[in-house]
Amino acid sequence: MMDRYTRLQLVGIYAALAVFLTFILLPFFEMFMASLRPLEHLFRAPYQFWSDDFSFDAYRKMWVTVPLLGRYIWNSIYISFAVTGLTMVFVIPAAYAFARLDFPFKNATLGMFLSVNMFTGAVLLIPLYRVMRTMGLLNTYWAMIVPGVAFLIPTGIWLLRSYLEKIPRELEEAAFVDGASRIYTLRRVVLPLAVPGLIVVGVAVFIGAYAQQYLFAITFNQTRELQPLPAGLNEFIGYQSVNWNEMMAAALVGVLPVMVIFLFLQKYLVAGLTAGAVKE
Amino acid sequence: MSATPNIGSKRKFSAMPEATFAWILVAPAVLFILVIIAWPLVETFRLSFTDANLGGETYVGFENYAELLDKQKFHDTIIRTFYWMGLSVALKLVLELIGATLLNAAIPGKGLFRVLVMPPWVIPVAIGCIGWLWLYNGYFGIISGVAQRIGLIDGPIEFLAHKTSAFYSAVVTDVWVGTPMVTLFLLAAMQGVSRDLYEAAWVDGASRWYRFRRITIPQIMPVIVSMALLSAIWTFNSFEIIWILTQGGPRGGTTTLIIDTYKTAIGNYKFGEGAARAVVIVILLAIFSTAYMFILNKVNKKYGSK
Amino acid sequence: MKHLKPIALGAALLASTAMSAQAEELHFIMCGGEVREADQKVIDTFIVENPGVTVNMEAVPWGTCQDKSLTLAAAGDPPSVSYMGSRTLRQLANNGLIVPANISDEAKGQYQDGVLNTVTIKGVQWGYPHAFSTKGLYINCDLVAAAGKECVAPKTWDEMYDLAKAINDNTDAAGVGLAGKDFDNTMHQFLNYLYSNGGVVIDPATGENKLDSQQTRETLAFYGKLVDVAQEGPTAWERDQLKDLFNDGKIGMYISGPWGRGQHKETINQLVAPVPAGPSGQSGTILITDSLAVFKGTGHEELAHKLAQALASGDAQYELDSSWGLTPIMKYEELGVAAPYYKGDAFWEVFTGGISTGGPEPLVEDFKSLQSVFTNMVQGIILKEDTVDNLVTIAGEELDEAL
Repeated sequence: MMDRYTRLQLVGIYAALAVFLTFILLPFFEMFMASLRPLEHLFRAPYQFWSDDFSFDAYRKMWVTVPLLGRYIWNSIYISFAVTGLTMVFVIPAAYAFARLDFPFKNATLGMFLSVNMFTGAVLLIPLYRVMRTMGLLNTYWAMIVPGVAFLIPTGIWLLRSYLEKIPRELEEAAFVDGASRIYTLRRVVLPLAVPGLIVVGVAVFIGAYAQQYLFAITFNQTRELQPLPAGLNEFIGYQSVNWNEMMAAALVGVLPVMVIFLFLQKYLVAGLTAGAVKE
Repeated sequence: MSATPNIGSKRKFSAMPEATFAWILVAPAVLFILVIIAWPLVETFRLSFTDANLGGETYVGFENYAELLDKQKFHDTIIRTFYWMGLSVALKLVLELIGATLLNAAIPGKGLFRVLVMPPWVIPVAIGCIGWLWLYNGYFGIISGVAQRIGLIDGPIEFLAHKTSAFYSAVVTDVWVGTPMVTLFLLAAMQGVSRDLYEAAWVDGASRWYRFRRITIPQIMPVIVSMALLSAIWTFNSFEIIWILTQGGPRGGTTTLIIDTYKTAIGNYKFGEGAARAVVIVILLAIFSTAYMFILNKVNKKYGSK
Repeated sequence: MKHLKPIALGAALLASTAMSAQAEELHFIMCGGEVREADQKVIDTFIVENPGVTVNMEAVPWGTCQDKSLTLAAAGDPPSVSYMGSRTLRQLANNGLIVPANISDEAKGQYQDGVLNTVTIKGVQWGYPHAFSTKGLYINCDLVAAAGKECVAPKTWDEMYDLAKAINDNTDAAGVGLAGKDFDNTMHQFLNYLYSNGGVVIDPATGENKLDSQQTRETLAFYGKLVDVAQEGPTAWERDQLKDLFNDGKIGMYISGPWGRGQHKETINQLVAPVPAGPSGQSGTILITDSLAVFKGTGHEELAHKLAQALASGDAQYELDSSWGLTPIMKYEELGVAAPYYKGDAFWEVFTGGISTGGPEPLVEDFKSLQSVFTNMVQGIILKEDTVDNLVTIAGEELDEAL
């Protein structure tokens, strides 16, 4: 009953959503239009919303122009998953520690993690290259995974921490009273409750990995077969001209798998798992 | 905190001291970071005291920093960067709260809408920015085109060609890039708020606005505050957006600290001077964050972590 | 058994020379996403002629190829041979990252005039010129006709301005396309005009900074005039985008290289002309080259030189010039090429005619700062933020700092 909206409210919500989504999706609309136009008509003034020569040709041609495109998309997904998995392994325990426990140097360590965010990869590039080279990681998948994990751990800890803080302590204390060890509590009590936060942080890390790939890929990796999509998109840039329509088509296609994954996951954002567990 | 140590000592296997347990949890992450990032960081710090460039380096002490302190342009850049950060983060927070609330509404199609909010986050930033580049184009872009067609403006407007319009256009794009992620985070936080609280208030006759103000906001405040700080740091260092749109132009109108650093270090290959700028960024952000954390602690105490 | 000795000796000698080249892998970074057939042919021949040597040719996309070579060099892992814009040579040379090129006197004579200037620092060549371009003015005759004027190549700046103004006033389109973005070709576009006005940036003989001059002032003032008849917001446009405007019939004319012909729509009735001359000079153009640079510290510089020479000469070079649609880098007619692609075509005369009066892209150590000097100056007049005098004076001072 609480969730019933008046007609006016409903209209208002949908209208607001429409405006919000228009803002969000406007560039994609533009990119999609660009992918449908033939190159000669890509730039035309005054702006035309529709024209006769729209076609999906670019979507077909892009596989030819950049033969390894499928491989690149796969690489992107693979690298992002690897980074996410590895990062979460480091982040979950650490976030829990920061959220619940007290220990010496707690704030200092948290500050240290935060400060990693303050340096961007771009500036650290050359010393990082030397580190990668010394460790023999260049030109492998690891070249792109390892720096990605390193830069995402701080963000992951920071984000997950605030979710974990919100889980009622009483639940843990209840577990202790029943004789559970710390690890058990963490595993069986806290984690299930943290699922919405875990998912969101996991997705955030995944997407962060996807976004960071570009810099690490072009600097630390020379093997074409291992390149992720953002680096692969460079191949649409020619000597004097750029195959914009195909590049946009490729970018949009590359994004689809991630969207599908999220479509599947967003249901889990619905919490209500704590409902009824603790009566205030 | 709870009375864990006492309980532990009663059991057959003693629970670890809290600090040890904590360190076991945190150590792997710390080690990983130290190995991969510590050396480059230290190296950058060291480089800032040299005039390192492509050919080699010589120690110059604080010369790089002194030079920066002198330049009026650099001071302008700092101010511009803080203004950029402040404006963009403020806009983002407002938009994100509104967005999260809208997406939290129990209306048909909400699943679809949530997914539709994602694209700016998922697409490589560079590609998104190219999209905006086209939108802002005076001759070929939608914005200028539609505005001309409906008679808002006379001729094409080149948003990125004039200093002020370029700055604000960049802010809009930055907001666009940053909004989806935090919106979804806030949404997750909102979803985690116990329904019982809302029901209790509803039964008492509280209006939606009241429920929002007195229940939702306080409940998700820790998330808001920590996201805001993260967002601020990222926005401060937001590079690709400005770089692709204007490369810091026109005439330095959109040059923030990170653009300046990149141009010096990577563009001009003046690693030493670039490193000095990077260190300045870190110092400024550290001061900002410390001040912020101070406030955050106060907020946590006020609203309480349960 | 006796014959074995000399054979064995010979084999040992052969082996030792091969030994010195044994298992050598040359790393060649070329710009452009795909390996070019002509390059592959050269490499194949090279491998056969030099046993024990392999070549790892990496075709890096245009956006990142130069940076990649520089990053590798800076990190201590230099490529053997790399395709670089000649503007980078001075910085590389000054920082000891590359070795001078071995161009024989005979080979030197084969290049078009002025080409070697783009790779020469104090009398030493630092790269093998590999791609060359000059510029011309492309005019849309349809727009000229619509403006009621005759489509004739303007010879002076005044004529050019009049033509642009006519187009601007009488048609929907802007008269001229002006590049003012924070991008390298903003400087190049400006230099076309400067060199057509007898201007000099750096004196080739003395290395002196001659930017602050009467000629520069005139050029900048002309730019200021052109802003009024140019497209909206030049500071957001660079040359490649101007091509799109030209194709869409939104600007009457703009300056570009010989590749423009292939990029422009066939439906446009275009006229190509040499860059109009300013009050103080003759029509000229900017001469830009890209080169193959041999990096230091690879341990096989000699081999790298040989590879670079093979790639940048003869058939391979001709093939690159003709297939990329560039201004010919060598005097191929003297080298015995039967019907060079640029002879007998009025189009090419525009681009080859200006070579002798053209000027090079200034070779300075900090080329990014050089670019900033010009971008600052040009944007200043476009945004009308300062007077011509002040802007040129400031530019002169900034250039001093960059040198």
